[in-house]
Amino acid sequence: MATATIDLEALRLREIGERKYKFIDRKWDAMFWITAGFVVGAAANITHLLFAGDWDFWTDWKDRQWWMTITPFATIIIPSALQYIQWRAWRFPTGATYTAVCLFFCTWIGRLVQWKFFINMPINFVWSATWIPAGIITDYVLLKSRSFILTSLIGSATWTMAFWMSNYIMLLPFLQPTKFMDHTLTVADVQGISYIRAQTPEYLRVIEHGSLRTFLQETQYVSLAFGTTLCVFGYWVGQFIGRRLSVWPIFRYLKQY
Amino acid sequence: MYQAWAVFPWGLDSSTTQFFWMWRMLVVAFLLGVGIFTVLWWRWILNTGRDLPQRFSRREEVRRIAVFWGLIGATSVNLYIEASFWPNEDGAFHQTLVRDTAFTVAHIPMFYLFFPLGVTLAVGTYLYGRTRIPAVYGADKGFPWSFFLLISATVTEVAQVAMNEWGHSVNLGNAGAEEFFAVWFHWPFVLYGWLAGGIFALWGETILRLYAIEDEEAADARDTAPAPQPSTSAPV
Repeated sequence: MATATIDLEALRLREIGERKYKFIDRKWDAMFWITAGFVVGAAANITHLLFAGDWDFWTDWKDRQWWMTITPFATIIIPSALQYIQWRAWRFPTGATYTAVCLFFCTWIGRLVQWKFFINMPINFVWSATWIPAGIITDYVLLKSRSFILTSLIGSATWTMAFWMSNYIMLLPFLQPTKFMDHTLTVADVQGISYIRAQTPEYLRVIEHGSLRTFLQETQYVSLAFGTTLCVFGYWVGQFIGRRLSVWPIFRYLKQY
Repeated sequence: MYQAWAVFPWGLDSSTTQFFWMWRMLVVAFLLGVGIFTVLWWRWILNTGRDLPQRFSRREEVRRIAVFWGLIGATSVNLYIEASFWPNEDGAFHQTLVRDTAFTVAHIPMFYLFFPLGVTLAVGTYLYGRTRIPAVYGADKGFPWSFFLLISATVTEVAQVAMNEWGHSVNLGNAGAEEFFAVWFHWPFVLYGWLAGGIFALWGETILRLYAIEDEEAADARDTAPAPQPSTSAPV
């Protein structure tokens, strides 16, 4: 009985796949995936900028306490929404990677045009973090688990860890110690002193202060653990956006006027 | 390019005459330009929509949906410009150059051109759907939730500009307060922006309509196909 059901489903899917359409072709796919990229990138970027942007703008602000705690929470929200939309519409486990790629373009256009060209800061001081490895791994979790609950639990952990590991490689050279005016600082600190940021911060400036510094290297592991917890919450905020604001309204209408 | 050319000589001191003519007047020009474009475009959609025939072919409906997707795409690009391109500039500018006015060179194109243009595009896209795609957005259906959310996002973003700048003006000069309160004042930009998730429902509704058109087309093809002829060859 179960085999017969599977055969029927396979037959139905093959029929859909092989169906010849008169009006629908690949141009519609291209139109959707390209134009949706703008709003997806924008949503991911503004969520990141205003919830966690300051920590990502400058190398010396990519700290071990707030950057890795708040950033995974802020950046999982839109990928989670896209995971729901793309899984629901096409069974594509690609939403997080798609969002990460869109975010990559949005942030790098910003860094090159605004930070490099407009205010003339060196790129190795204002480089953006990447989320593409984290997106691929989180999509893999959805692909294997086929469950949003498991993805929220396991995927949030992999998102946070992959975010840290993939970006730590780029950050590490800037954390090397150096002598500057008879003080031991990191290379990133020297950059921060050398390039003047005259104005008050745009969004927030709570860069690594508090007693967690006393744990020295352990700081980052404590922060990663807490970041994962926050990320689970962020994942379900994203699910709300995907379910209630993007898919639920399809063919639903307010009272007639 | 205008900004790159005009910011450093004339864009940093809001008390100068040059700033008034080169930048403040740009606010007026943008608002007037967007206002005039909005009135003309919406009127054109409504006026030409009234003259359209009530019955039209499936091919024509598909063409209209394609134009509709173009308008959604334009709205999407505008959302990128207002929520990513200019906010990046805002961050870069305001963290490195001292601001002395709410009408900074980073704010002017973002808040007074692309934010109102977002409202124009979202409402204009609705008017297009309302007058050209009655199967999905016709008056008999009611007002769609998808557009309610998208238009709400664009309108509340404009409203949030006022609240945000008011917050800055209250706290500017009071360094401690600015540092803490500036954080919260920016969050509604994000929360309101999420409402634009309704844009995916627009794609969903119209792609489902396209599939319905394909089904109608296939049903017609079946109905008009010649009946199978009995075989004339002798059985082997």
